[in-house]
Amino acid sequence: MSDLSNFLAFLGLVTTLLMVWRQSRPARVRLLALQSLLLAAQAVTIAVFAARYGLLIVAVALVVVKAWWIPRALARMGEGAPPRPLEPGRSAGVRLLVAGMLVVGAYAIMLPVTASSALPTRGGIPLAFAMALVGLYACVTGRDAVGQILGFLMLENGIFALGLLAAYGLPGLVEAGVFLDVLVVVLVAEGLVMQIRHEHATLDVDLLRELRG
Amino acid sequence: MLLIVLLAVPLAGAVILLRAGGRAAVVVHGLTALATLALALAVSVAVLRQAATLTALDGFLRADALSAWMVGLVGVVAGLAAVEAPHYAHGAARQFYPFFHLFVFTMLLAVTTDDLGFMWVAVEGTTLASVVLVNFERTRASLEASYKYVLICSVGIAVAFLGTVLVYFADVTRFGGAEHALRWTTLQQLAPGLPAPIVELAFVFLLVGYGTKAGLAPMHTWLPDAHSEAPAPVSAMMSGILLAIGVYAILRFKSIVDVAAGPAVAGRLLLGLGLVSMAVAAAFLWNPRNYKRMLAYSSVEHLGLVSLGLGFGGPWGVAGAVLHIANHALAKSVLFLLSGRIRAAYASLEIEAVRGLLARLPLSGPLFFAAMLALLGLPPFGLFVSEVMIIGAGFAAGHAVVAVTAVVLLVIAFAGLLRTLQRMLHGEAAGRGLEPRGWASVPMIAALILLVLTGLAWPPGLAGTLASITAVVTP
Repeated sequence: MSDLSNFLAFLGLVTTLLMVWRQSRPARVRLLALQSLLLAAQAVTIAVFAARYGLLIVAVALVVVKAWWIPRALARMGEGAPPRPLEPGRSAGVRLLVAGMLVVGAYAIMLPVTASSALPTRGGIPLAFAMALVGLYACVTGRDAVGQILGFLMLENGIFALGLLAAYGLPGLVEAGVFLDVLVVVLVAEGLVMQIRHEHATLDVDLLRELRG
Repeated sequence: MLLIVLLAVPLAGAVILLRAGGRAAVVVHGLTALATLALALAVSVAVLRQAATLTALDGFLRADALSAWMVGLVGVVAGLAAVEAPHYAHGAARQFYPFFHLFVFTMLLAVTTDDLGFMWVAVEGTTLASVVLVNFERTRASLEASYKYVLICSVGIAVAFLGTVLVYFADVTRFGGAEHALRWTTLQQLAPGLPAPIVELAFVFLLVGYGTKAGLAPMHTWLPDAHSEAPAPVSAMMSGILLAIGVYAILRFKSIVDVAAGPAVAGRLLLGLGLVSMAVAAAFLWNPRNYKRMLAYSSVEHLGLVSLGLGFGGPWGVAGAVLHIANHALAKSVLFLLSGRIRAAYASLEIEAVRGLLARLPLSGPLFFAAMLALLGLPPFGLFVSEVMIIGAGFAAGHAVVAVTAVVLLVIAFAGLLRTLQRMLHGEAAGRGLEPRGWASVPMIAALILLVLTGLAWPPGLAGTLASITAVVTP
């Protein structure tokens, strides 16, 4: 079980890093869907090996909400916009370097957590935390609205993975509430992004600068 | 049972208001707000009078002294805002009233649930219910404010969730999994045995996350935009109580961290954030241009001071912070509501455009003046007392440098605000502005009288209430 869950956590981090590297928006949305499927696989693994069958419901919710519904909403938000930023930004190399340093930092910060865990899934804890940190980084450096929302969802996925690996998931009621919240955040963000595109004819949030001081 | 009804009323009101329009909507809105206020006060009195704890749904809902204090505040400020709301909602009642009461519901849920995981869900819910109201006017500026608001607060609150996961991890690794592992009552019992390094780490994330909701700098960047673009009643609730709910969440976790890792850890972090917030606010308040943004930055300042109070700790620090939350809620919500009337009279949010306020609005003008004096922390208003309590707690706890710095920052903000107020009040008034009917100002006058009471003569029971709130969160 340990090997399988570590491998899945590793693949999760790889998808996060690929999302930092890729410029194309549709490709990043597909990677997010893939990452959510990997999380669902992680949930099924724990459900089967640790006999936590409640996690099977969580896995189904992951597939429906995060691997299917949310990527579709993101695709709708970006529909018709150019698939990559028009002006070239910072090189992917620098972004990946920062992300790599965050991964190292994540290992250091998570040392006390990993050390006090006795679960067979503990090996993946720093990887999940790294997913969250890199997601936060992607969110604050996102160059357009979809990029920022993608970063937020990467952060959310990382925290979810952390809960799964460190404590086999949170109590069901809380988990359900979190799913609902993420769903509504994306719904609200979609409404706002559509309005922004209508008003400014762009996804580029740097153009939003009415409010100052 | 009382708690269930308290939550059911605004929720039911919101559902009905989705379908009601015109005159019926105003009536249902008024009745819902009135019932919410009555129930909130009933909960506060039931808990604070008899020093009891209300619980419902097998302990899932729980109101101790701290919760009761917050419930009362939510009820009062929502009531104040509800009186002014019909001036803003007309034309689009279905996009306003349901979210107004949904917003109230999520705030009440956040302070009455005992489950810290579910509290997180409710706090995120407050953002999602209020963002619709921030974007109510659908201008370019309000759209920008809404986008920043929902993104920054959702990311902030996600960081708080990371902290919550770590607390849960600390609990289940040490004590084994249980259904109630995230209940605050459970955690408080188990706190002495929780592993200190993990709880400390968790608190950093929780403070950054809920600090974002509390408007503490440097996570405050969404606040001036959202508070200035929202319709006045919504600004009043966001500034008056929503920020306080962020503090409430921090306070709940702090009481656990204090036991598990010693009181110094959380205290130092709160002192740092508090000072940064006060400095950022003072810098802006020296010369503001937009009066709603001025009020918003003043909230950053006051919440920074509250954070200092919690950081200083001790009986005066916590009691001062809790009292300051209430005083600030009353003064600031009245001011934001009046800012809506000023905007209607002058058709501008620029301070430059507002001249001769006392003559132009003969009722709202003097009220604005009085509420500003209260906000500035002048006696006889309550903010003076709570500020003295907090600063005094700083000296008592041996943090003289921090306390003196805070006083300096308070004075800078004071001078800037006073100068701005002077410019707005006097000068040539171009005729009379339109005032709402006299009775509509009665609730605001009542709020100001309450502020004088907390400043001059404490109502019987206030001292005991503050003591029992302190007892809840100090081990």
